[in-house]
Amino acid sequence: MTEGNGLMLELKDVHTFYGSIEALKGISIDVREGEIVTLIGANGAGKSTTLRSINGLNHPRRGSIRFEGRDITNASPHSVVKMGIAQSPEGRRLFPRMSVHENLEMGAFQRADRKGIREDMDRVFELFPRLQERRTQKAGTLSGGEQQMCAIGRALMARPKLLMLDEPSMGLAPIFVERIFETIVEVNKQGTTILLVEQNALMALDVASRGYVLETGTVALADEAKALRQNEQVRKTYLGED
Amino acid sequence: MAIRRRTGFLDPVRERVEVLERRVLGDDAGPVARRTFNRGLSAVIVGFLGMLILAPLYGFSVAAILAWLVFVVLYVPPWEVIPRVGRFVRPLLALSLAATYPFYALNMFTIPIFGAFPDVATGVKMLVFAMMAIGLNIVVGYAGLLDLGYVAFYAIGSYTVAWFASIQFAHQNIHFWPAGVPSSLPGIHISIWLLLALAGILTAIVGVIIGLPTLRLRGDYLAIVTLGFGEIMPQVARNGDDFFGTGFNLTNGPNGITPIDSPGFGSFTFLAGHGSFFTPDRLFFWTAILLVLFTVFCSLRLRDSRLGRAWIAIREDETAAAAMGVPLMRTKTWAYAAGAFFGGIAGGYYASFKSATFPGDFFFNISVLILCMVILGGMGNIWGVMVGALFLEYLDSEGLANTGAWLNSNLGLNIDVPKYEFGIFGLILVVVMLFRPQGLIPSARRKAEFEVGVHDEPLYNATHG
Ligand SMILES: Nc1ncnc2c1ncn2[C@@H]1O[C@H](COP(=O)(O)OP(=O)(O)OP(=O)(O)O)[C@@H](O)[C@H]1O
Ligand SMILES: [Mg+2]
Repeated sequence: MTEGNGLMLELKDVHTFYGSIEALKGISIDVREGEIVTLIGANGAGKSTTLRSINGLNHPRRGSIRFEGRDITNASPHSVVKMGIAQSPEGRRLFPRMSVHENLEMGAFQRADRKGIREDMDRVFELFPRLQERRTQKAGTLSGGEQQMCAIGRALMARPKLLMLDEPSMGLAPIFVERIFETIVEVNKQGTTILLVEQNALMALDVASRGYVLETGTVALADEAKALRQNEQVRKTYLGED
Repeated sequence: MAIRRRTGFLDPVRERVEVLERRVLGDDAGPVARRTFNRGLSAVIVGFLGMLILAPLYGFSVAAILAWLVFVVLYVPPWEVIPRVGRFVRPLLALSLAATYPFYALNMFTIPIFGAFPDVATGVKMLVFAMMAIGLNIVVGYAGLLDLGYVAFYAIGSYTVAWFASIQFAHQNIHFWPAGVPSSLPGIHISIWLLLALAGILTAIVGVIIGLPTLRLRGDYLAIVTLGFGEIMPQVARNGDDFFGTGFNLTNGPNGITPIDSPGFGSFTFLAGHGSFFTPDRLFFWTAILLVLFTVFCSLRLRDSRLGRAWIAIREDETAAAAMGVPLMRTKTWAYAAGAFFGGIAGGYYASFKSATFPGDFFFNISVLILCMVILGGMGNIWGVMVGALFLEYLDSEGLANTGAWLNSNLGLNIDVPKYEFGIFGLILVVVMLFRPQGLIPSARRKAEFEVGVHDEPLYNATHG
């Protein structure tokens, strides 16, 4: 795998700490252009920490992160966003007192092309017609599913090259989960590379091309999504099959 | 921190008003009609109480009736429904009332308990503090950064003007467009107008210098550091007559710097005035109004800018803001600089008005006073903050003394009421927080914060930007 192959994001032996707690103990992950890559693993395995390391909220103490050939190991969150990585963070983290519309605008904070922003706003409303109906509503009063849509839409407003989603299906009814996953595939088809963290391993492996299984801060398994679905251990632990 | 409004004991009144409202307006009146009705009702009640209780005690006053009429015109009609010009009606009316105040200040009636209307010189002080409060509101109300040392910026502004428009540095003899200063006078004498700009800029730079290391801190820590900074300032001023033991007299120590040049043009100075129309107080008063207008204008523009949106985002959720690409440090530092800028100008202007600056003017209690103004009026809302500032500064300089005199003479007491100023302000604040935690005139956004009941989640560390 070289950059000529469309290698977009590359984590090499990343160690990230919270104080003295080592949450990531040497993680290496690749994401190629156009892919959907999924990170699965038990609670506390370090999935969210991996995303936070990438977008600059928690800098790794060791190891390196490269995006499109540039080193972003110690980059600040805003420069990471500017380079084209957007995130829908764990727990959505909308701005609760801003309207849906304002939240979406915040997603485009780093951009100055008004016309493009308007186009993307239309696109988000096309993906989530429900958001359009609720445009002026305060985000904090949206239902869980609507909030998730808003969070994904907000991340899309950055027109990212790489979209990172942290548990987009969390707490949603099955019908909503399906809707969200359809949207993820749709967004990917429109040309956005996706790094997807999921508890719902079955669905995640269905839409992803490759997957990584994290275990207490290390990569336990890395393979094609299809192969992981067949993997005995994964089936037992994460897919709830015997 | 979901704070609910506690208005339980007013509910029966409210219900009755609603019944009355429905009887008068019908069941499906629009919100505008209903608000107008409610406001009209309050105006009638206020007028009625005035007639019933105050008039027999104090006698009928034409001025009071006129004032009530002005209040009705300002408050009751739904001016904002007039397209385009409607939303300017209230501010413009209020502005013209303020601008003409020197002409009728002496003809006003006596407010029960509070006493006479403030004189024009007090008006200048009130306006200066309004300017400072609006500046602090950028830091506290917009960006949500608790600054307990705002007085430091006021001090820096004051001393900037004092240094460059007095005989403090007597071995120098630099004159640059001062007003009414003979060229033989030693010291540095620069035009006050230029110095106000300089004070603003210098203070903003200091704001940035202080901001860069401290704004990485969150909440409580930031408050403590700013508190320390605010405490250091008057000490530096007090001991600055022998600057770091070098013998260099920077601040003239506890004696302060006085006199300070007055603003003006050429040989015409505010201090001397011109005839009976342009009295010194009036000149200072009108200029203060212009400065407040400038502050309000800038503050509104900032609020509606991209930067303003970023401030609100940081206030709501710092981590999410960072994840959206808001550069935290830079954005917060701008809030600091902008707040400091107006504090500096206000401080400089006030020093020139008083013609003096002393270390004792810059103690911690002034920081608290300005913060109270912001909170009382309604954080984030310029009009609320302005009302809060004007009211508290009025109490500070005249109101409390008047009230004390009234109490003592009517109840046969002998209390020095102004001595308990901060206790009284604390009490006012507690009462307001209990019954109207969003402040007297909250911003639409803040109001939502109290009504929606959504709350902040704990954050992890994001200190970059
Ligand atoms: N702010 C923090 N301070 C200290 N430890 C933390 C912090 N955030 C996460 N951790 C720890 O780091 C480890 C990895 O956490 P992380 O949030 O990355 O897990 P996760 O894989 O996303 O789990 P989940 O599926 O529950 O979201 C956990 O052991 C967690 O307790
Ligand atoms: Mg997680």
